[in-house]
Amino acid sequence: MIKGDVERIKVENISKSFDLNFKKNEGALFRLVSLVRGTKVNKINVLKDISFKAVAGEVIGVIGLNGSGKSTLLRIVAGVYTKDSGSVETTGKMIYLSGFGPALKPKLTMRENILLIGSVMGLSQKDIRNKVAEIVSFAGLNDFLNMKVYQFSSGMVARLNFSIGIHCLKHHNPDILLLDEVFGSGADKNFEEKAIKKMEELISRGATVILVSHDLDIIGRYCQKVILLEKGRIIKIGKPEEVILKYLGGQ
Amino acid sequence: MFLSRIKKYYYKVKSILGLSLSLAKADFKLRNEGSYLGIFWYLLNPLALFLIILFIRGAAFSSNNISFYPIYLLLGVIMNNFFSKSLSSAVGVIGDSSGLIKSIKIKYESLVISEVLGTIFSHFFEVLLLAIFMLCYKVSLIGIIYYLIIFAVFSIFLTGMSFIFAVIGAYVNDFANIWSIATQLIFFITPTFYLVKEGTWLYKVNMFNPLYYFLTAAREVAIYGKMPTLRLIAGIVVMTIFFFVAGIIIFNKFKSKFAELV
Repeated sequence: MIKGDVERIKVENISKSFDLNFKKNEGALFRLVSLVRGTKVNKINVLKDISFKAVAGEVIGVIGLNGSGKSTLLRIVAGVYTKDSGSVETTGKMIYLSGFGPALKPKLTMRENILLIGSVMGLSQKDIRNKVAEIVSFAGLNDFLNMKVYQFSSGMVARLNFSIGIHCLKHHNPDILLLDEVFGSGADKNFEEKAIKKMEELISRGATVILVSHDLDIIGRYCQKVILLEKGRIIKIGKPEEVILKYLGGQ
Repeated sequence: MFLSRIKKYYYKVKSILGLSLSLAKADFKLRNEGSYLGIFWYLLNPLALFLIILFIRGAAFSSNNISFYPIYLLLGVIMNNFFSKSLSSAVGVIGDSSGLIKSIKIKYESLVISEVLGTIFSHFFEVLLLAIFMLCYKVSLIGIIYYLIIFAVFSIFLTGMSFIFAVIGAYVNDFANIWSIATQLIFFITPTFYLVKEGTWLYKVNMFNPLYYFLTAAREVAIYGKMPTLRLIAGIVVMTIFFFVAGIIIFNKFKSKFAELV
C-alpha cells in the first residue's frame, strides 16, 4: 500500500505540557496578582520527545490508554494545538477529522447543522447544498431533515457526525488524513460497517493516514505501522501485531 | 510574487468572511428559536430603555434644550446597545465555541467576526425603529444614509475591539463580569441622554471615550444634517485604524493557545 518514499509527515522530538493550575488561575484578580508576584506553574507532560515519520500512502495507527496523549499528538500535527518544543513538518493537503459531536448545535435542525459545519469545514454553501441529500441518505436519516438535533438519539447524532465529516471533506483527495476516534462512534453495527467501508475508500485513495482508535481490529486491519503511547511517551513503534501484543500485555 | 501573496491574502479574507456570515446566520436563527415575538425582542430592550429615560426626563426636568430630543436619545440608546452587545458577545465567543475549536481546525477570526455580524443584523431593526421616529418628527430620512456611513466605520472599530476582548475573555474567565459593570459606567459617562458641555470634567473624560466620538458624529449627520467637526473625524479615523490593527495583531499573537484554554 505504501506508494513511495515521499515524506508527508515528519515529527521530531515534540513535547507538550499542560498547566494543571490553569483553570483556577484564570480570574482577573489572580492575573493581576501574578503580574506582581509571578505564577507558580504546575505542569504535566502530555507528550515527551515524540518522533516519527510517515511517507505517502502509509497508514499509521496510534494506540494507548485514555490520557496517553493520542489526541494531543494528532491535534499538534493538525495545528490545532501548539507544541512546546520539537518540529512538525507536513507536505500536502491535510484533513483533520475527529468525532465532533460538540460542534453540532442541538437547537438547529439537521439541515442547518449540515450547512453550518460544512461552512466551518471550508466548503461553499453551493457545494454543501449539493451534498445535503448524500449526507442525510448515508446517515440513514432521510425522514429527519428538519428535526432539531436535540431530539436525536445518541446513535443518530453519531451517524450524522460521521456522515457530515466524511462528506464535507474540503479536499476530495487529501494527501494527509488525521482521524481521531472516528470509529466506535456509538452508532449501530450496520452503520459502523458502512462507515468503515467509507473510511476504507478514503484510505485506499493513497493518503497518508494517522489513525487514533481504541478499536484494535481496525488498527490491525489497516495500519502498516503502529505507535503505542503511554503517559506521553512512545513505548513501542513497529508492526501492528507486535505493538498490539505489547499493548494488550501491558494492560 | 507580490501579486500571488495579495491573491492568497484575498482568498483567506474571503473564506473568513464567508464562514463568519454562515456562523452569524446560524446564530441569529438560534437566538430567535422558540420565540413567538421573534425580532420584537431585539427592539424591546432599547425601546423600553428609551421610553423610561424619556418619561423620567420629561417628569424631572421641565426645560429641554436639545432639539429633536427623542431622536437624540434613541440614537444614543441604540448605539450604546450596539457597542455593549458586540463587545459582550466577543468576550465569551472563544469559550462558547469550545466544541468547534477543539474538533475542527477553524479560523478563529470567523468566530469573532460572526458575533459582530450578528449584532449588526439586530442593529438593523433598531435603525428601522429610528427611521420610524425620524419620520414622525419630520427629520429628513437622508440622515439614515449618513448614519450608515458612520455605522460602517463604527463596526470596523468594534471588530478590532472585539478581537481584543475575545483574547481577554479567553484568558481571564471573569472578564465578562468586569465588562458588564464597565458597560453601565460607559452608558452613563457617554452623553446618551444628556448634553455634555465643553470644558466640564465630563467632557474631558469623554475625550478618551471612543463611543462619544462615534455617537456625536452620528447625531450631527443623522439628526442635524451637519458635517462632524474635523476633530471628531480625526478621532474616529485614528481610533478605528489603531484598534483594528491592534486587534488583529493581539488576536494573532494569542490565538494559538485558544484550543488549550477552552
